[in-house]
Amino acid sequence: MSASQSMAALTWSRFCRSRLATAALVYVVVVALVAAIAPLIANERGVVPFDPNATDLAHRLEPPDSQHHLGTDDLGRDLLSRMIHGARVSLAIGLTATLISLIVGSFLGALAGYYGGIVDWLVSRLIEIVLCFPFLFLVLGIVALFRPSLWTIMIALGLTSWTTEARFIRGEFLRIREMEFAQAARASGARDARIIFRHLLPNAVAPVLVSASFGVANAILTESALSFLGLGVAVPTASWGSILSIAEQYIDFAWWLVLFPGLAIFTTVAAFNVIGDRFRDALDPRSE
Amino acid sequence: MHAYIVRRLLYAVITFFGITVVTFALIHAVPGDPITFYIGTHGQNVSRPALEAIRHEYHLDDPLPKQYLYWLSGAVRLDFGRSTIDRRPVVERIGEKLPNTFELNFIAFLIAALIGLPAGLWSATRSGRPLERSSAVFFFLLYSLPAFWVALLLMQYFAVRHDLLPLFGMASDQAGAMSMPQRLLDHVRHLILPVVTLTYAQIAIFARFSKSALTEVIRQDFITTARAKGAGESAVLWRHAFRNALIPLVTLLGLVIPSLISGSVIVETIFQWDGIGRLYFDSILARDYPTVLGLTVATALVTLFASLLADILYAVADPRIRLGEGGR
Repeated sequence: MSASQSMAALTWSRFCRSRLATAALVYVVVVALVAAIAPLIANERGVVPFDPNATDLAHRLEPPDSQHHLGTDDLGRDLLSRMIHGARVSLAIGLTATLISLIVGSFLGALAGYYGGIVDWLVSRLIEIVLCFPFLFLVLGIVALFRPSLWTIMIALGLTSWTTEARFIRGEFLRIREMEFAQAARASGARDARIIFRHLLPNAVAPVLVSASFGVANAILTESALSFLGLGVAVPTASWGSILSIAEQYIDFAWWLVLFPGLAIFTTVAAFNVIGDRFRDALDPRSE
Repeated sequence: MHAYIVRRLLYAVITFFGITVVTFALIHAVPGDPITFYIGTHGQNVSRPALEAIRHEYHLDDPLPKQYLYWLSGAVRLDFGRSTIDRRPVVERIGEKLPNTFELNFIAFLIAALIGLPAGLWSATRSGRPLERSSAVFFFLLYSLPAFWVALLLMQYFAVRHDLLPLFGMASDQAGAMSMPQRLLDHVRHLILPVVTLTYAQIAIFARFSKSALTEVIRQDFITTARAKGAGESAVLWRHAFRNALIPLVTLLGLVIPSLISGSVIVETIFQWDGIGRLYFDSILARDYPTVLGLTVATALVTLFASLLADILYAVADPRIRLGEGGR
């Protein structure tokens, strides 16, 4: 390995050495692409020729066949089409919620790590307080009391899961704030905000991306649980969890309603977890 | 030692106040008349003067900080008011459901520890070998399984298709007519599916945590020293590494308990287990604010005590912590 190889390239090549992680990454990209173009492929004239919300009572609760590849639900809606559209909801919520927690966590963690003292003490107490609440209690409470909607869910998830990111950033800042490049920036008269955002944050961001990957997995899992419990996005919109909540009533025979949406959640969550895990190893110089 | 524990206790008190402030602020940020908070949605049929009287009685005409103090003075005495559903004290309602949740969570915790800890320690000693790698992947997959999906699959397979176990509930309808051992067996049969659903993710947490704890220890200098002085590999592991790896595991208390309580909401709702998770979910749907508030504070307190206990145990076991060296 040449010494000139950048940290990013080195990490990337270590990441790709794991076939499982590479497969997970490809899978996530494919799911994201399908979600992005869902309205183009799953409509009356698309590759999957059914509107996700078009009911067809003559064909309700049908098992998979050549027409409805994954079967139909209790209103005769095509399951495959609903799952493709559901991917949009799940991924959008997972990514946005993680972005919110990344912004909140990085900001508070950076303040705590950079200034130390009373700021650090306050942020640490706040983290401790948030961690005391059982995660799902807090999210359920916020979502239900403020009326379930796409934004309530994303904000509730984001505002309850920033603690990991904050602790990572704080730790990194403590480690690098006295390094030469930071002192050089300070000596050249840069203001605090500039040092924090231009010099320190880019150097502290890598381990946070690991927790972000786990964060997306957790957000998707929690969103689907909320939808399953009936506190997710409003009813006609398909989400993997809301399809499963319908499945619960027909558990005695409609195996396809239980199996496929669950598999979609499971594989996507697992892929994000595997990516995060491999990424963490790739960043750790001691691991190989 | 004493200084450390005193400081930790002080922090716990501060955290307790933080918990109450956050919960109170959240509830009061909810749009709508706070009067429904105390009397529920029946409030709509109450006459205006009567409403004013209630408002005054519950100090709702006072400024918010003062209202908080009134509520807090009750909360420290575990008086969270009365449920808006049946007008019974919230503490009483929590108290009667708590044993059911405790039973479920305690069994799940025990099983998860008994399987997860040895599995994690084992994989740390086999790090990088094919079998260890595939077991690591397996735990990851386990951790990624949505609990409600697992619950549905288990119900479909064991209850609907093969009729081996009951679908939900805590006891059969005929339980009253059963003899004592029969009733016990019936209860155990009802326990199996909820416990499995609650346990599998915790196994993964235990395994991963104990693996990284032991791996961390093996990397340290004193292990190299032990090897250098000629100790056999098994002596190094058993005498030197394991004992030190078990210490950080007490911090799992503060980690696993909130995660178990979170899981209880899903598991108890699906399996209709009459515990606090289901009570919380029902109270949220009914907008029974005093119960929601009481349960949130109570469960956060349980976590607070667990992590306090873990920290103190940690300090007792590891002198580096109480002497402040590792006290980052």
